[in-house]
Amino acid sequence: MAEAKLIKPDLEFVKKVMDSGGESLKKCYQCATCSVVCNVTPEDKPFPRKEMIQAQWGLKDKLFSNPDIWLCHQCSDCTAYCPRGAKPGEVLGAIRKLSIEHYAFPGFMGKLVGDPKYLWVLFAVPVIIFLTVLGYLGHIKIPDGEIIYAEKFIPVLAIDTIFIAAALFAVLGFLGGVVRYWKDLSSGVAMSSNPWQKKVKGPIPIIILNTIIDFMTHQRFKKCEVTKDRSNSHMFVFFGFVGLAITTTWAIAYLYGFEFFNIQKAIQLSGGSFLLNFGESPYPLYDPMKILGNVSAVILLAGILQVITNRKKNAEKAGNGSYFDWLFISIIFTIVTTGILSEVLRLAHIPVLAYPVYFIHLVVVFFLFAYAPFSKMAHMVYRTTALVFAKYSGREDKKF
Amino acid sequence: MADEKTGAPVSGTILVVGGGISGITTALEAAEVGYEVFIVEKNPYLGGRVAQLNKYFPKLCPPTCGLEINFQRIKNNKNIKWFTLTEVEKISGGAGNYDVTLKTNPRYVNNNCTCCGKCAEVCDVEIPNEFNFGMDRRKAAYLPHEMAFPQRYVLDQSIIGKPTAQKCKDSCAYNAIDLDDKARTFDIKAASIVWATGWNPYDAKKMDNLSFGKVQNVITNMMMERLAAVNGPTKGKIVRPSDGKQVNNIAFVQCAGSRDDNHLPFCSYICCLASLKQTTYIREANPKSKATIFYIDLRTPGRYEKFYKKVKADTNVSFVKGKVAKIEEDTETKDVIVTVEDTLSGKKIHERFDMVVLATGMEPSTATSKVPGNAKYDENNFVISDEILSTGCVKKPSDVMSSGQTATGTALKAIQTLVRR
Repeated sequence: MAEAKLIKPDLEFVKKVMDSGGESLKKCYQCATCSVVCNVTPEDKPFPRKEMIQAQWGLKDKLFSNPDIWLCHQCSDCTAYCPRGAKPGEVLGAIRKLSIEHYAFPGFMGKLVGDPKYLWVLFAVPVIIFLTVLGYLGHIKIPDGEIIYAEKFIPVLAIDTIFIAAALFAVLGFLGGVVRYWKDLSSGVAMSSNPWQKKVKGPIPIIILNTIIDFMTHQRFKKCEVTKDRSNSHMFVFFGFVGLAITTTWAIAYLYGFEFFNIQKAIQLSGGSFLLNFGESPYPLYDPMKILGNVSAVILLAGILQVITNRKKNAEKAGNGSYFDWLFISIIFTIVTTGILSEVLRLAHIPVLAYPVYFIHLVVVFFLFAYAPFSKMAHMVYRTTALVFAKYSGREDKKF
Repeated sequence: MADEKTGAPVSGTILVVGGGISGITTALEAAEVGYEVFIVEKNPYLGGRVAQLNKYFPKLCPPTCGLEINFQRIKNNKNIKWFTLTEVEKISGGAGNYDVTLKTNPRYVNNNCTCCGKCAEVCDVEIPNEFNFGMDRRKAAYLPHEMAFPQRYVLDQSIIGKPTAQKCKDSCAYNAIDLDDKARTFDIKAASIVWATGWNPYDAKKMDNLSFGKVQNVITNMMMERLAAVNGPTKGKIVRPSDGKQVNNIAFVQCAGSRDDNHLPFCSYICCLASLKQTTYIREANPKSKATIFYIDLRTPGRYEKFYKKVKADTNVSFVKGKVAKIEEDTETKDVIVTVEDTLSGKKIHERFDMVVLATGMEPSTATSKVPGNAKYDENNFVISDEILSTGCVKKPSDVMSSGQTATGTALKAIQTLVRR
């Protein structure tokens, strides 16, 4: 017999899971159909059956100190086959949300992003910041003449200051969260009697490289059956973001590399025009950076539209998704549509629409950046951490 | 006598629809206290699902024994009239005064039949044997099963008008075959109607992950009854469908479609006991055999707990808590591989068996064919109306013993309908 263990159920946690999209939690009768139909679970101590009972009992620490909730990709095969309609996929999604909230740094941000009540606060912050800047510059009106966002609306310096601050806030948030998460994962190993949690301690760089290959190829995601189209749409969104991240870095190089590396001088010396348009925006449409940005935006739009249609299509089998999911999807959707519209309206020269749309674009981009560690965006960091840990601790069936 | 409200003349007949163990019991209990009863049965024989069982609860005796006693009681009771191959087409009127239209399908064999079997001998057409769930084939001139009541052959509709039918007729020395037999419709009056049309095994093909129909050696629990029965397709030898190999290692998959929102949301009540019972079939037939029952919860109501303990004492029978949710075939050996999480050890296991039995549940017959009259159903299509009464498995999932008990109670209810007027 195993030693008697005192468990500390957290009833508040059970309620929170049920309020966060896991309202069907209590229907589970532990038949383990879910663990069998899941294609991404390890064979030993498979999920999500054990997570279901841990959640029913309010064993928050067990759930958080275990990488399994992030090994789940919410294929919803479990939800489709669940004989009770307990929707394990949705429940694990809710637990992940609470995990993000739990590790939020600073803590109050987790609550602010997780609760629809505070949505207005989240929007108010960037709106006030940008309005203040515009007011200070006397730009609260639709400027005349050719549309140049940087010159006539919000200058580069303001944009950079605001977004570098937001990014720093996010990076600190992620750091604070991940450090605590890794500590908990390690203490989970110490608490556990599971043979797999014995710390294989493989070479971390190789593990990280393998993890990156894992998510670049969507290897695990592709094992989904009921919602197999999701791995495609996610791939689009993912690579859309990657493209836009490269574009942003590139744009920074244009803007500052220009002076920093004395490139103008180099161009003058080479005596003629150059394919790359160093200097301030807007850039011509044939510029490779511009092309990459536009292509990435279209890929992202295609991806997010697929995400939305898939969600609608799979709703009956996989569930409707929670506030947390939809908030994230809506923000990305707004970013990509306002981004594309800002460009189109600028080229079409419709200032009355162009400037307000660009304003909204800035607000939602701020939203995505600054709140990343507390929104569903955080999945990219926590899931990566969990995957690395899973490989590191021997939780995955294959080594590293 | 006349109805006080409507003034319409009423007969005191109780109509029992369905001649299985429940219908027979209700009919006999009412008839034996003096009421007139009609039994209507759509099959060419009485006895229903029980006739298909190898052994039944509570005493594990062969059902022929219990059924035969009841058939004797029917034969000896002049208050009972029974119609086989007959279905109810329409019910009008209300309690105390029903007009019922019945339709009898042709048997093509009259009561001169002595069951000599000559017609079957000469018949050269074979059809799937429904009584054995299609596991073997039978002649198109057949006795439904050895203990069929009435003991009378049937000609399958498909051969009528073909030379084979004429051959059958010519071979009959008793002038028992009537190829001109036609379906006929007739009306009766009834004061009370009891619906006892029983259940159908839930269609196992609907659980795509359990691979019934795709993996050859996956059968249902009712098929297992036929496989173990001496009058079954293999004469009682428990062998696998793919190659006739003796089954040494068998698995039972509980809740195959029962307690499942995607299929039958309710517990079918009998499947746990049926699987426990079926382990004894194979353990008695083959001492080396091993059986494993995969379950969510084992439900052995009342004194059946004793039976569970008896089976559990057999060390060759193992129990694994976890629902089988994936079944695959080893294409070379035709072995069946089941995947399950053993929830007590927390390990996902893949185990190989010679044959797998799905403990499929009970779907009320009214899920597919409704009462052609004013009846009420619950959300799972079980008949729960107070006017047209219901009993047995069309009312709720039951074993034979409780079917007998509720059928007796229903006889009283039917009588009350007659007397209360």
